[in-house]
This record gives sequence, C-alpha cells and structure tokens, in this order.
Amino acid sequence: MHLLDECWYLNASSRVEVPVSSPYLACPNCDALFLEPVIQERERVICPRCTTKLFSRRPNFVHRAAALVFAAAFFFILANAFPFLTLRADYRESDMLLAGAVSGLQADGFSALATMVAIFTLAAPSVLIATLLYVLLPLLRDRRLPWALHLCRAIHEARRWNMVEVFLLGVLVSLLKLGSVATLTLGTSFWAFAALIVCLAAALTAIDQAELWDKLEAARP
Amino acid sequence: MNFDPASAAARGLARCHSCGRVELVSAEHCPRCHAPLHLRKPHSLQRTIALTLGAVILYLPANLLPVLRVESTLKGAQQNTILGGVVQFWQNGDYLVALIIFIASVMIPILKVLAIVALCLAARFGCWQRAMTRLYRVTDYIGRWSMVDVFVVAILVGVVQLGGVMTINAGEGALAFAGVVVLTMLAAHSFDPRLIWDAAAREQRKAFAKNERRSDQVTPGAASLSHA
Repeated sequence: MHLLDECWYLNASSRVEVPVSSPYLACPNCDALFLEPVIQERERVICPRCTTKLFSRRPNFVHRAAALVFAAAFFFILANAFPFLTLRADYRESDMLLAGAVSGLQADGFSALATMVAIFTLAAPSVLIATLLYVLLPLLRDRRLPWALHLCRAIHEARRWNMVEVFLLGVLVSLLKLGSVATLTLGTSFWAFAALIVCLAAALTAIDQAELWDKLEAARP
Repeated sequence: MNFDPASAAARGLARCHSCGRVELVSAEHCPRCHAPLHLRKPHSLQRTIALTLGAVILYLPANLLPVLRVESTLKGAQQNTILGGVVQFWQNGDYLVALIIFIASVMIPILKVLAIVALCLAARFGCWQRAMTRLYRVTDYIGRWSMVDVFVVAILVGVVQLGGVMTINAGEGALAFAGVVVLTMLAAHSFDPRLIWDAAAREQRKAFAKNERRSDQVTPGAASLSHA
C-alpha cells in the first residue's frame, strides 16, 4: 500500500478525475489519500500516517453478524418482557421492568432526563438492531431491500448513542448502593440484557463498516 | 483554505462521513448513501468550542445540585451530590465502586474537556499530529461511560417506588450532569481531527519558507566576504 506518491508535490489546485467506482481510500482521521489496496481475508489496512484502522476483510462476516444480531434481537425482546430487578424490603416486593428506569424518572417530573435514558437504553439499541437486521438478512442472499443504503447511515448514528453496556455498569453500582437497605435480586431480564450486550458487541466487531458498504452496493436491489 | 498536500481534500476529494466513499466534492451528495459531502466537518472548531463551553457551564450545577434525594424513616432526608456519593461509597468500604464512580463521573468529564481544548489548540498550531489523532479516538470512545451515574439514578428511582421504608427522587443535578455528558459527546463528535494535519502542513510550509528566506539573505553576505 502506498500513499499516492504524486500527492506530496502536487499543489492544491490540481484535480483528479474519479471513475464510477472510486479506487481511492482516504483516512477518516488524517485524510491521507491512497489507492485502495487489495488485501487477503483476515488482513487489515492501517493508515501509515496516523495508525487508524481503515478497513479489514473478515471471512463470512455477513453470516456471522446476521446470526449474532438475530440473537441480540431475541434477547432484547426478552429483556423488555420480564422483570429486570426485584426489590424486597419489609416483606414487600416490587418488580422493575427495563422500561421502569424511564417511567420512574417520568413520574418524578424529569421528562427530559427520562427521554435521554429512553434514547440511550431503548431507542438506540432497537434502531440499531432493526436496521442491522433489515440490511444484513437480505444480504445473506446478496440482495438489498429498498432504502437499505439510506438506512445504513442510521447504524452509524445509533451505534454512538447506544449505551447498553454503560447501563449494565449502572445496574451493578445501584445493586451495591441499595445493598445495605434492601435486597435486590436480578430478574430474568437482567441476564437477557447481559446476553444482548455480548451479542451486539460481537456483531458490531464482526462487521467492518467499509466492507459492509461495499457488499451492500454490490448487492442486487 | 489550506489543506495538507497529502490529503484527499487538497485534490478536491471528499470522504463521505457516513459510508467512507471518496468522491469529488463537487458532487455535493455521496452517490452511494446520499449523505451531504464536505471536505472538512462544517464549522468544526466553532461548534466544538461552543459545545465545550456549554458543558463547562453545566458542570457547575451538575456538581453542586443533588443528583439524588433519599427519604427514609431510619435516616431521615438525605441529599446526594455526585462527589457525596463517591465519599459515601468510600466510607462504606466499597473502594472499587467509589473508584469507578469517581473515574466515570469526575475524572472523565474533566479530562475530556481538557482533551478537547488540547485538540483545538493542536488544530490551531499543528503539533503532535499522531498523538493528537490518537487522543481524539480515545476521547470519542470514552465519553459514554460518564453516563453511568445518570443510569444509577434512573434505576434507583425506578426500582424504589414502594412507599413506607424510603422514597428516592431524582435531583436537578442529574439532569445537568446528563447535559454535560451529551454536550461533551457532541463536542468530541463535531471536532475534525483532519484539521490538525492541515495545520501541521501549514506550519511546515511556513518553516520552509522562513528557511529559504534566510538562505537568500546569507548568500549575498557570503559572496561579499569572498570578495574581500
């Protein structure tokens, strides 16, 4: 892989013609311009200037990611259906659903905060899972559904605001915080939620964004 | 605008920020995913600085106002600020949790604001490009973990809804703190690390021009010396 040699002395006014499928590759963090190198499976391209990972090729990534996202979707439904935490104090019991973290704040009059928590723990993961399924499942047969290319942009955005793993840390901290006053037991939902985090993280690391876009562009509409 | 000569932007090529395709910027929209194309993130520094300032201002109420109000029949009414929560965990002997909360809610926001200031300075003066680009990647990733305290409040409020023994209510500090985290996340996202490389190339060109000028001045002097 080479930096385009002539880049170093061409001045800013020179322009190049870009063919239909762009042969160029630019680093997102330092904007160094390259000709796209051909790599083998399991190899990765790293920017020689700023060491950002540019892209990689992973064997069979669509199948792997689709399976993991499917599992994540299943666990996400489970995590929302069953009680998340059970509090016992004074012979009284109360269950909290995953959505209870949102509705509690809502009832307290903090609707802005409730909206934020809802976006980070409910909306972002569901958008992420839904778009991934919409894009990946047809891609198993090399097809793409209408608007798939537009929707794929949402993956990027939803990924940034998806904070399920931070929420899990929050659960562990609040277990300890209430530990002295009342007994908290983890419900079915909690384990489903933990599994969701593992599956989603595995799916996202299995997907290379650049490779996904290339595959998607090449698929039959 | 002066772009780094090795960059795509110097040749009128823009990298689509959502799908990564490199395309002539005159196309305006990415032909693949239809996102608008920009050579650099628009108004990157102004946006970053404005959002960071907002976060710094919100940081005060976030630490001064209570994040949690606890009323129990045993201990009476209590108000917890973020630092108060850390101290409480420390006194109870939960050193690990105290450390986690302290790192996530006190250290990370402060370090993040400092990192963003350093990045903005680097984008102005063009120094330590490699280290700064790495700092940007870390900053962009780590910000989300500050949200843990807000989630703790949300969970406690959600789970302790039975009256009698105790009631837990959220405080205004939690809202302010969530604001700090979201603003710093947006600030980090609107920063464009490619500006650092542009600035570095600019500085290099300036230094080069200075050297040339100096050698121009030296040569006639040297000539006159040889004549004497």
